[in-house]
Amino acid sequence: MNENRRQILEMLAAGKITASEADQLLSALEPDTTTHAGTFTGSFAGSNSSEGPTVKTRAKYLRVLVEADESMTGMKGPTTVNVRVPMQLLRAGVRLASLIPAQAHDQLDEALSRHGVPITLSQIKPENLEELIDHLEDLSVDVDGKEGNNTKVRVFCE
Amino acid sequence: MTPNIAVVHVQTPHWRMIPLWIPLFLLWIPAILLSPIILLVIIGLAIAGRINPWRAIATLWNLICSLPGTNVRVVADGTKVTVRIL
Repeated sequence: MNENRRQILEMLAAGKITASEADQLLSALEPDTTTHAGTFTGSFAGSNSSEGPTVKTRAKYLRVLVEADESMTGMKGPTTVNVRVPMQLLRAGVRLASLIPAQAHDQLDEALSRHGVPITLSQIKPENLEELIDHLEDLSVDVDGKEGNNTKVRVFCE
Repeated sequence: MTPNIAVVHVQTPHWRMIPLWIPLFLLWIPAILLSPIILLVIIGLAIAGRINPWRAIATLWNLICSLPGTNVRVVADGTKVTVRIL
């Protein structure tokens, strides 16, 4: 284990950085072909592929689109809801959960389980939630209503 | 980055409002003037709730700074409401 990796892991253990930030730092430490111009251009010089190297960009927003027609809502005309929320807001929001006093966790757990949500708040760590939000980037939910029920729900990251 | 402007636009079948550009950055002036009171309230609530007040302030600050980019658009019953935070 080299010194840089050790320092990053020590910072993570000390809580100075989050799991996602540690992951980014560790990824930056890994040998990257784009920084080695010689080998990189050599590998693509004779390539027949028309596609260049793909770089996955991090999703910045969570979009929720809901479309429902008159038969569902009873209102005149279709109803649409289009919400775009920055991923950073989600991250800040989940940190609010960490502000819940420990004494309240038991009461909240009981209330949640009564409503059919069996979650133990004390076992949820901010790092787990950060990882969950990171994986939200791959989330895509498409719900189409049943026949005669023209309702569409789309949740995705962009 | 803190939110600077909020754009609110309401449109009904009978009435159409000009998009309202609300300068949220002007809220800094009363916020700075009232900051001692606001801080005392937050610290008091945090201590009463037995949570770290500085962590609470940091979390609230993160929440406020991540608001820019939020868009909400709702169309219902012929009424359109759009809220954008820039």
